Amino acid sequence: MGPSRGRRYFLLLVLLAGFGVILFRLVTLQVLQAAELTARADRQHQKTVTLEGARGAVTDRHGKVLAMNVEVPSIFGVPTSLDSPANAARSLSPLLHIRREEIEKKLRQDKHFVWLARKVEPEQGHRLEQLAIDGIGMVMEGRRFYPKGPLLSHVLGFVGMDGVGLEGLERRYETQLHGEKRLTILQRDALGRTVFPKGLREQVPAAGQALVLTIDEVIQYIAEKELEEAVDHAHAKSGTIIVMEPQTGAILAMAVSPRFDPNAVASLTADRWRNRALTDTYEPGSTMKVVVAAAALEEKVMMPGSMLFGENGRMIVANTTIHDHEKLGWMTFAQMIQKSSNIGAAKTGILLGEQRLYRYLQAFGFGQRTDVDLPGEVVGLLKAPREWGRRSLASISMGQEVGVTPLQMVSAVSAIANDGVLMKPYVVSEVRDHKGQSLKDILPHVKRRVISPGTARTLTTIMEGVVTNGTGLKAAIPGFRVAGKTGTAQKVDPRTGTYSSAMSIGSFAGFVPADAPRLAMIIVIDEPLGEAWGGVVAAPVFRRVGEQVLTYLGVPRDDQVKIAMVSK
Amino acid sequence: MKAVAVIAALCLVFVFVWERVDVVRLGYSIERLKTQKTLLERERDQLQVKVSALTAPERIAKVATDKLGLLPPQQGQLFIVHPQPDPPLVATTPAEQLRIARSMPIGGASK
Repeated sequence: MGPSRGRRYFLLLVLLAGFGVILFRLVTLQVLQAAELTARADRQHQKTVTLEGARGAVTDRHGKVLAMNVEVPSIFGVPTSLDSPANAARSLSPLLHIRREEIEKKLRQDKHFVWLARKVEPEQGHRLEQLAIDGIGMVMEGRRFYPKGPLLSHVLGFVGMDGVGLEGLERRYETQLHGEKRLTILQRDALGRTVFPKGLREQVPAAGQALVLTIDEVIQYIAEKELEEAVDHAHAKSGTIIVMEPQTGAILAMAVSPRFDPNAVASLTADRWRNRALTDTYEPGSTMKVVVAAAALEEKVMMPGSMLFGENGRMIVANTTIHDHEKLGWMTFAQMIQKSSNIGAAKTGILLGEQRLYRYLQAFGFGQRTDVDLPGEVVGLLKAPREWGRRSLASISMGQEVGVTPLQMVSAVSAIANDGVLMKPYVVSEVRDHKGQSLKDILPHVKRRVISPGTARTLTTIMEGVVTNGTGLKAAIPGFRVAGKTGTAQKVDPRTGTYSSAMSIGSFAGFVPADAPRLAMIIVIDEPLGEAWGGVVAAPVFRRVGEQVLTYLGVPRDDQVKIAMVSK
Repeated sequence: MKAVAVIAALCLVFVFVWERVDVVRLGYSIERLKTQKTLLERERDQLQVKVSALTAPERIAKVATDKLGLLPPQQGQLFIVHPQPDPPLVATTPAEQLRIARSMPIGGASK
């Protein structure tokens, strides 16, 4: 028993020692090094990635896509894993259209990660996969596409490389458009493959919201095409067209020339992409006379038949001379507007007085933002009467000493077309979620009544006379009644600080059909060469755009309405 | 009795292991399908951009004028007609059915 007992104790001791070692190791692993080892295991089993929902799309009023995100490859290099940066650069150069030296320089950096080209074409990604270069890889990133190219670029704006809106609607609606960003932990197996993690369904970040615009891409195209032609033909510096629905304030088109392609803005400057329709002010010249006329008619200072003397084209005001473009004698108030008499407008303004004129200018929205849902809008220039000089009343009445944006002016003209009610202009009509469900409908917003319906109708008749008998003959659209007003304003020469004889702005603002307005429109041509009269450079553009848009909208001509009535 | 208990225990263990393996297998399968879905969505988006670019009014106008030689309608060439909605082509009586059948072209419907 003795030796056998001794062996048993020995065996027991050995076993205890063995278990003791195991226990010690277990305590070391599970207790003492637990935190460190858990972290190391997590690093191997889990992959933390930033998932970002796609940026929301932008469509026109009929659902035509104007901007949307598509995932495209971005190419990167891992210099520490590369055998030969020179060989890699030689293979990549023709694929990425980047100089070989430039790529090689990046790949020779002492870094673990370098971007070689971001957001390239999908085809380039496919070709890179075929090359299969060790140390060169790609990840997918969302890239903003504007499939219509330059169409509506000044309104849409664009996003930066990191997908954040920098201009236009992209900037104004950044909060709504951008997709949700979320850190997500994915499980990996021993081969590094992603294993479907528990609860991923809840972790998918939401896509950004989509915008539906009031813009109609066909009307926008017509406006841009005609504006480009007009600016080219007049050798002008720039131009703007805004087409608005007078009853709602919905903007159907907003065109600025020169255009730009938001898909390639890297080489452009702000001068090219700023939306001049609301960032640039100009002295409106004679288009302002409709506002003065509205005030005079509403205040019963003038009637359409009231007589005014044109002073044969010259009148002294505050030791300065006001000229008319032709020698006018006695004329009615309506003729004064139709012939665009500066002297007649100045006399009307003087009869109205500073306070009343100022009150109406403010009521029509001058000197304040229209609050359109686009960034960068300026207030324009409208001084308070206490800052006016001795000539100001006369000058402002003929559209000088006051700075307006094209958007302010078209809103004011829309108010006349809308029976005297000023609407807030807007571009976005609906916000939808990524599934297309409506989240918010943006409804027309009435700002205020500025003149009575009777005054608006009287003024409309006078403005029709501008197109049938006055300075706006070239705006006439066969088969439709057009109401409008021409404007020609000299620009201030920045070198001399005085009005330039060479630089001017020609414009036309009006609406059609005059009896049941469907479109209010302004055309502004900046610094045309040669004849700069609004009636020459801008009025024909109104006719061409109006004619095409009315046809597109299916608005029957007056003679067609008559045929339809007879056949009934 | 003991044998039955052992077999039952083994079955339970087997079912547990099989279930764990199947979860992992399904996980891979889901991941594959998700990748496929992502690729298809990406392709759909790319095609949508292409469609949008191809239907741009500027391009259509260019093709219409340059390639097809079309011109915008001139004054007097365009009439806007607001037609009355067509009566339904559902025949209610045998006579009506006969009338519709007679008006149909051979081998096809009239509408």
